Amino acid sequence: MSTPARKRLMRDFKRLQKDPPAGISGTPTESNIMAWQAVIFGPEDTPWEGGTFKLSLAFSEDYPNKAPVVKFESKMFHPNIYNDGAICLDILQNQWSPIYDVAAILTSVQSLLCDPNPNSPANSEAARLYSECKREYNKKVQEVVERSWTEA
Amino acid sequence: MSADDGELSQGSAADYEDDDDAFADDTACLNAAEHVVVPRAAYQCFGAVEVRAKQSEAIARVVAVLQVNTDEATQLLRTFKWNVNTVNEEWFADEERVRTSAGLLPRDADASEPEPERVVRCGVCFEDFSADASTNPGCRHDFCGECWRGYLENAVDNGPSCLDARCPHEGCGARVTEALARRFLSDAAAEKLSTFQWRSWVDDNPRVKWCVGPGCERSVQIDVVRGERPVDVTCHCGTSFCWQCQEQAHRPVDCETVRKWLIKNSAESENMNWILANTKPCPECKRPIEKSMGCMHMTCSQCQYQFCWMCQGKWADHGERTGGFYACNTYEKEKKYTKNFSEDEKRRALAKSSLERYMHYYERWLAHGSSQVKAVNDLKEMTESKIARLGDLQNTPASQLKFVMDALEQIAECRRVLKWTYGYGFYNMEDDGMKKKFFEYIQADAEVGLERLTKAVETDLEEFFHEEKTAEEFDTFRGVLTGLTSVTAKYFKTLVTELEEGLPGVESEAVDAAGGGKKPGVLTRLAAAGGGAGK
Repeated sequence: MSTPARKRLMRDFKRLQKDPPAGISGTPTESNIMAWQAVIFGPEDTPWEGGTFKLSLAFSEDYPNKAPVVKFESKMFHPNIYNDGAICLDILQNQWSPIYDVAAILTSVQSLLCDPNPNSPANSEAARLYSECKREYNKKVQEVVERSWTEA
Repeated sequence: MSADDGELSQGSAADYEDDDDAFADDTACLNAAEHVVVPRAAYQCFGAVEVRAKQSEAIARVVAVLQVNTDEATQLLRTFKWNVNTVNEEWFADEERVRTSAGLLPRDADASEPEPERVVRCGVCFEDFSADASTNPGCRHDFCGECWRGYLENAVDNGPSCLDARCPHEGCGARVTEALARRFLSDAAAEKLSTFQWRSWVDDNPRVKWCVGPGCERSVQIDVVRGERPVDVTCHCGTSFCWQCQEQAHRPVDCETVRKWLIKNSAESENMNWILANTKPCPECKRPIEKSMGCMHMTCSQCQYQFCWMCQGKWADHGERTGGFYACNTYEKEKKYTKNFSEDEKRRALAKSSLERYMHYYERWLAHGSSQVKAVNDLKEMTESKIARLGDLQNTPASQLKFVMDALEQIAECRRVLKWTYGYGFYNMEDDGMKKKFFEYIQADAEVGLERLTKAVETDLEEFFHEEKTAEEFDTFRGVLTGLTSVTAKYFKTLVTELEEGLPGVESEAVDAAGGGKKPGVLTRLAAAGGGAGK
């Protein structure tokens, strides 16, 4: 059955394939177009460089009028990412607009990696190290980068 | 005794100055019942029709002054909490800023040259469609009809915030116009939108609050907001509540004390429920007794033993020591702990004593509360049927029986006040100072008066329904009841005034005691009033 949400997700997929933004990739799972898997590559010249971070996106039939639930599947260490991988990002909550598509979501999450907002910490230790001790913070980031290579 | 002396007369002069709008000419629905011992602030009660009228009136005023359309005026009023004066001031101070924050298009934008029909790609579904002036809210960010519908219905599902829906285009703050919304919304969603629209006058307006009565759609506006002080109001549906905190009407006690007290009660109620079962055994014959009347003077129907419902002590022992013959309001710390007690025993005793202290106040709060409910029901029953029967029996026109209704109204109101003084006492009377003594003194005075009045209604009045009585006897009863009603009102007014002003009577007492001052203290005045009214 083709609903507006499914139709739109097909378009999102086509756009993503035709014009893929640098450092991200995403595809619907084989059986269900409402559930996606994505990978974000750590941006170059940052502590995140080399990381391959997996995410899941769960869409509802209200998409694109409601944001999908986006979670990191890889272990992360970031001020705005919870231990269970949930992301604290305004466009995924109250600043959501139906003009965003999967490419826009993944690009926003990617830029969040290097540009955290320490004022709304989801991981207080990461937030503290980020503002007080960059060296220690970078070391922890390096750890999750290396871990991302071995995760299934 | 006018119900609104004091508050109203002060209020109208000074506080009306910042009263912004044209509501002043409305018929105030004052609760002017004579037997309200707590002075009432001026307030008005509105139904949906009146709210819509007020809303239209405010919109018309903004339209006339600012030369904007109705839709824009509505949005401006919502932004500035339905205060016409604020809208005007802000607009003339900085029109552009107000336009931006309310999501109105810039002034020069609505130079309406017709928009040509054109084929564009919808920013939401990425399909091409034919756009025109009706597919954007004036900002030229076009979306197709299906996507507008999805966007707007989702917004309506999210609640009243849909009234401030903006263009979905990134960074565009243009507000979705009502015409655009109504063009694409389904009938059911448009209906919801209309409801949010009229309700927003109450939701956003800081001087108006919804009635808390179940299923009641009315709202109450108070004329003067005085800081955090509690404001008792009675909606046309009959629900009395505090306008400030939406709990049951609780003056003279402040909202914070009431909040703490109610939280404590709900936390402790599990314990209390089994301790304070609805019945108590007769202290003499141990048969269970249920209290079905308002008065605390109990007579066991089996063994005729007379006792006090509060302390279960012998009724004959009640007198000056317990705060008067008909009252029992004194909580005394019974046990003085001796050195022989071990630390453990002391701690246990202390915990027990603190629970007992709470129980003392809670039990009285609960008892007066259920007496209040009973009084309200009695009043209803009297109004609906009994008063007519009494008129027939005594051969008296209903207009001559107003004193009975007065007494019943007085009882209901006083039970309410008395009930809350126990919440107040728990928090404010922790040490046995002069203040506590004074508080319990005036509380006892009020309670004595009220118990006498209750007894007169529940016992003496009933006799007129069941026994042959002469006209003279009825006249005497009329005199007694009228006297008791007015004396009780006097005591309660003192209690209310003292509590609301933080017991200033204590100081005047102290001065009196020290220097034999010339100004009579409240205690003396009270004693005089009590003595004068007599039994």
